[in-house]
Amino acid sequence: MIAQLRSELFKQRTTRTAPILLASMVGVAILVVSLHVFTLSAADLRQAANQPKVLGWGTTIGALFAALAGAIGITSEFRNGTIRPTLLTNPDRVRVLAAKAGAAAVAGLLIGVVAAGLVAALGSAGLAARGITVTLDAGDFVQMIAGGGLGAALWAVLGTGLGAVLRSQIAAVAGLCVWLLLIENVLIGNVPSAAKYAPGASGGALAGLMPDAGSATLLAPAAGAVLLLAYAVVAAVSGAGVLDRRDIG
Amino acid sequence: MALTAPHDERVARDFEPTPPVVTVRDLTKRYGGVLAVDALTFGLEAGSVTGFLGPNGAGKTTTLRLLLGLARPSGGEAHVFGRPYRELPEPTRRVGALLESGDFDPGRSGRNHLRVLALAAGITTARVDEVLELVELDRAASRPVGGYSLGMRQRLGLAAALLGDPELLVLDEPANGLDAAGVHWLRGFLRQFAAAGGTVLVSSHVLAEVALSVDRALVIDRGRLVATLAMSEFADPGALEQAYLELTGKDGS
Repeated sequence: MIAQLRSELFKQRTTRTAPILLASMVGVAILVVSLHVFTLSAADLRQAANQPKVLGWGTTIGALFAALAGAIGITSEFRNGTIRPTLLTNPDRVRVLAAKAGAAAVAGLLIGVVAAGLVAALGSAGLAARGITVTLDAGDFVQMIAGGGLGAALWAVLGTGLGAVLRSQIAAVAGLCVWLLLIENVLIGNVPSAAKYAPGASGGALAGLMPDAGSATLLAPAAGAVLLLAYAVVAAVSGAGVLDRRDIG
Repeated sequence: MALTAPHDERVARDFEPTPPVVTVRDLTKRYGGVLAVDALTFGLEAGSVTGFLGPNGAGKTTTLRLLLGLARPSGGEAHVFGRPYRELPEPTRRVGALLESGDFDPGRSGRNHLRVLALAAGITTARVDEVLELVELDRAASRPVGGYSLGMRQRLGLAAALLGDPELLVLDEPANGLDAAGVHWLRGFLRQFAAAGGTVLVSSHVLAEVALSVDRALVIDRGRLVATLAMSEFADPGALEQAYLELTGKDGS
C-alpha cells in the first residue's frame, strides 16, 4: 500500500500534467478575480455580503482543479494504457485506487491552498486598489485557506472515484466543469436551501464561502466537511468497485 | 550431518510438488454474443519457449489478458504457478509481461516509466538501470517515451517485463517494430532465458518470427486451439509454413 502510494506520487511528478494544471489554475484565478473586481460596482463590493462573490472563487477554483487532477490521474491511465502495467504490478485493484485517491488528496490539498491563497491575495489587493475595505477578518482568511485546502483534497478523491467509474477523460473533465462552474452556481443562486447540501457548497461551507454565497447561506463548516467527506467516500468506493469488477480492455 | 536440512533452497523445493508454470483449462471468454476464446486448454512446463500463433483476431491477446488477470474468464480457468494471476503475492517477481498495446505515458521518460513500476513493486532503482542497459536503452532513458521509435518502445516494454527478474515471460507480439538485429537479439535472449530455467510464452501472427526461437507452437484460430506443433518435427521451414496455413485456413484453398 505504501509502495503503491509512493508510485502514485512519483507518477504525479513525472508528467507535464501537474505543471500545466497549476499554470492553468493560476491563469483562471487571475482572470476570474480581475473580472469580478473590475466589473462589479464599488457600492456592491462595499457590502460585506457581496465580497464572497469575488473571494469565494478561490474555493470553487481549488475544488475544480483538484477534482480535475484526481480525475486525470486515473483517466489518463486508461487513455494511454498505463493502467495495464499498473495492475500487472499490483493486481489488488482496490488498493491501487486507494493509493491513487491518497496521492490525489495530497495534490488536492496543495492545489486548494494555492487557489484559496491566490484568490484571497489578488481579490484583497484588487478591492484595496479600488478603495474598498475588505470586511473579512484574519480568522475568515485562515478558514478560507485551510478549509479551501481540505475541501480541495476531498474533491480530488471525489474526482478519482468519478474517473474510475467513467474511465473517459473527456466525460470526467467536462462533467466536473459543468457541475462546479455552472450547475452548483445556478442552484445556490436559485434554491439555496437545497443547494447547500451539494458537494460544491459543502466545500464552500468548509472554507466559509463560495461564489454567490457567504457563510449565511451555507452549512456549518463541520457539517460541510462531513458531507463532502461522504461524497468523496461514495465516489471512491464506487470507483474501486467498478475498477475491481470490470475487465481492462 | 546428512540429516540436517539442505542449505540450498532449490534442493528443498524439489521435495514439494511444483505446479506447472501455466495451466489453462477450458478457458472461455465471451464478449456479448462473440466467443473470443473458446474452451482453450494448454499447459506450459518450466524451461520451455512456446509460441502462441494465430492470425490477427484469433484470440491470442484476449487469452494473454485472461492469463494476466486483466480480464475475467466467462468460463474455465487460467492459472500461473497454480493460482490466478491476481492472487500471486508479488506477481512481477514471478511473471513479466509485455503487452501488444504499448502502454506508456508519452510525456514520461523511459527511466521514470520503469521507476513508477519499480516503486510499486519494491524494486530498486539500481535494477531499473540494469534492465535499461540490458535492452540498450540507457542513453535514451531520460527522454520522453513520446519520442521513441516503435522498436525502442518494445525494448522499454521488455525492460519493464524483466524488472522483477521473473520466472515466466509472457510476450505479446514482441518482435513488432524490431529491426532484423533486434529480432535476432530477442531470439538469443529468449533462448538464454529458457536455458537458465525460465519459461516463455510468446505470441505472434507471423510464423517466421517465432519459428526459430520456440520449442513448440500452439496454433489458435477463432478462439480454439487447432494444433500443437513441435518444431523438431518439421525438417524445413516450408513444411512448417504449409502446416500453419492449412490449420488457420489461410492457404487460399
